[in-house]
Amino acid sequence: MMHFDEFSRPEEYISPFDRHFRRLLRKTIEESIMPFRRQYDEDWKDHHLIEPAFDKIMVGLGLQKGLFPMEYGGMGLAQSDYFFRAGYMVCEELGRADTGFAVALGVTYWPLLVISVAPYVNERLIAEFAPMFCNSNKAVFAANAMTEPQGGSDIENLGLLGGKTIRTTARLEGDEWVINGHKLWPTNSGGVSKLFGVPCTTKPGSDNPKDFAFIYVPADLPGVTQGGAYEKAGMAADKNGDIWFEDVRVPSWYRAHGPGKDAEAFYQLIPFGQVMSCAFLTGAMMNLYERLYEFVSTRTYNNSPLKENDAIAGIIGRIAGDIDICRILGYESAMIGDRRNKPYGKPLISEDVVGRVRNIKDFVSDRAVDCFGKAMDVLGLYGADRDWDIEKHWRDIKIVQLWMGGKQLCQMEAARYFFNCETL
Amino acid sequence: MGRNLDDLFVYPKQLLDEESLSVVRLVRQWSDREIVTKRMEYREGYEHLFAEQRKKLCIDIGIQKLTIPADLGGFGWNSPSKAPAMLALALEIGRADASLGVLSAMPWVLFLMVTRQRDHNAKQRSALASVYSEEAVRTPGLILTGPGLKGMQTPLFWGRSILTRAEQSETGFTLNGKDLRPLIAGGVADLFCVVCADGNGKPSIAFVPGDAKGIKRGPSIIMTGLNACGNSQIDFNSVPVAMENVLDQEGNIEELHTWVSLLLGGVSVGAAMNFFELLADWSESRTIKGGVMLKENALCASVLADVAEEIALARLLLCDLAGMMAAQADSRPETIRCNFTYAGMIGHRVQKGVMYAMNRGLELMGSAGYAKEWHVEKHWRDVKTIQSILYGVAAEAPIKMDTARFFYNCTEI
Repeated sequence: MMHFDEFSRPEEYISPFDRHFRRLLRKTIEESIMPFRRQYDEDWKDHHLIEPAFDKIMVGLGLQKGLFPMEYGGMGLAQSDYFFRAGYMVCEELGRADTGFAVALGVTYWPLLVISVAPYVNERLIAEFAPMFCNSNKAVFAANAMTEPQGGSDIENLGLLGGKTIRTTARLEGDEWVINGHKLWPTNSGGVSKLFGVPCTTKPGSDNPKDFAFIYVPADLPGVTQGGAYEKAGMAADKNGDIWFEDVRVPSWYRAHGPGKDAEAFYQLIPFGQVMSCAFLTGAMMNLYERLYEFVSTRTYNNSPLKENDAIAGIIGRIAGDIDICRILGYESAMIGDRRNKPYGKPLISEDVVGRVRNIKDFVSDRAVDCFGKAMDVLGLYGADRDWDIEKHWRDIKIVQLWMGGKQLCQMEAARYFFNCETL
Repeated sequence: MGRNLDDLFVYPKQLLDEESLSVVRLVRQWSDREIVTKRMEYREGYEHLFAEQRKKLCIDIGIQKLTIPADLGGFGWNSPSKAPAMLALALEIGRADASLGVLSAMPWVLFLMVTRQRDHNAKQRSALASVYSEEAVRTPGLILTGPGLKGMQTPLFWGRSILTRAEQSETGFTLNGKDLRPLIAGGVADLFCVVCADGNGKPSIAFVPGDAKGIKRGPSIIMTGLNACGNSQIDFNSVPVAMENVLDQEGNIEELHTWVSLLLGGVSVGAAMNFFELLADWSESRTIKGGVMLKENALCASVLADVAEEIALARLLLCDLAGMMAAQADSRPETIRCNFTYAGMIGHRVQKGVMYAMNRGLELMGSAGYAKEWHVEKHWRDVKTIQSILYGVAAEAPIKMDTARFFYNCTEI
């Protein structure tokens, strides 16, 4: 058997972190997640099975402190020039086992990178939040409380709308921000997170980026209320719910950077989210290959193994080809992120990077959804069985295609970028 | 939404007579009143409400007796001429709940198979009719063909493995088979309808009571969808079957596949029509770009159009198939083969189209489409399960081979 590791990625893109860490991470995942993942759907509410595995990944391997500088006990990934590729590797390995795990970890990094990645670094806030993540012996999560009840994807469409639809408000009273609003669906909500990054407006209805504020809110403050986790089609390891902020008060310096800069730093989240989405997907697709290989080698049509039939080989060949192409594209998207500080790179907040990376994510999502659907059909009577794992990935990865504004926003970004659309 | 689904997803109404239409209306009323308008309640109390609604449908409305001959106390819809009406019913029930649709369709298929036999056995007919006329919900399980295992040479039905062996005995047949996979209901079936083959590879269909000696049921299988159908793998260890319970007429298995493709196609299209209703409501209550109603944005409207187009065309295709089956004047092998090929092609196209529609619709609904609260994700999971189990093995490849054989006289594939 060709090993799933042999799916293509440019060798020169492999980071030092990958060389040292991947094997250890994979071993931990294969011991603490993969044997139990078929039971995770029933554990969506309580996380009795899921939580101990998070402890092993987040605390045992230290991944929850990944972004923080080494002087705080962190791994210093955000300060490295391979932050995107390191994240890609971690999320790909986790995605191979369970995309819900990968999302929960990736999203913990999400609000923190607004203050950690050059040129948008806030040393005071890093020092403030580092102990929460670096000194804990239990898994600690963060969330980006972005989506709101009306016009869900509009906040992610910051480039066009400039935050004018945001209804969560931040009002400065003395040396405190007072926050009011209602957010939906953040990964790591539903009672999981200790810290929220909250996009707010200081002037409702304004599309001036200077009125956009990104403010950190510890989850245990008075006025923060979290609803229970939503029951979903999949992604049991990733809890989502409602969050209400009612006159929540935080120190004024909990704002990430200040007028104008907040919007820029926040915009960095978009390419990071899209690149990691590719990683979740290619990880899951590599596991698809492993499981599909076993099925088509041991089951027959016309009394010959499925893989030896020309027509069936045509289907599974296309699936493997798609996985290969998607992995190359995924690593390319990570490298676009890591090139940001180099002369030939572009800033993460540039239309160029956001447009291209969204485009790759849109393409990889479509291919993944198609490949998993086809693989289930190849398994036929067994395609919908939990025991073959492919159906779990099929349910889990659908949300990756839908989130962060979904397909339509990706298409609009691509059209705006490539065709200079002026009114979309 | 406020519009009649039949005015939107039009179909040739002349295929349905007044009697059929009245039954279809009755089932739609049940579906609307009991499930479609009470989605939240139905979801939260699913375990007991499913059984309750199934009883209402099967016993109170009586659709369990749909294909029992009229002279034996049934509705008498046991002829291909009723294919369009049965399709319409499968669609209405599927709109409420695909699991109910699949479970309802299975007994219909049983009687259709029994009564199509040239020398059908009156004793077997009346015994089956008597059981399915009782005031208890009955559940047949269907074991068709599927993938074989490497190293094992099995009798084949157009390339698909027949895994149940039937050995002739003095009183009838003895069935043997291991790890057999029913389409549904392996764990709860009170009667199995099994595709089997004798030592010469000749295929036939055996009816095996669920409590017959030698049947071993495996643990429950958790699936993507249709979990209310209670599936598990089955072993037959020297299970005796009386001679009259084996149907060995040529073309039986093709006809069985034909009916299953039609009716499960109907269930999927029904589920898709309710998906459409939920999506239509969604598109009128959500905005994009800071205030534009979703359905009034050109890109979103084109996605909505994709969804409607696929469902509308899928319904029309199935109606064509049902019309073709209803009009068949003979049961010559070439007619059966033609219907089998068209049922495979249309069934495949319908399931694919409906899945495409649902995937597109979910893209528009975003996270809400993924949450159980909005009910669309259940339709998505159920239909994907139907699509996969209908293929049996290897996605569309066997159907492509059936099609190539029919149109090009291929002999080696």
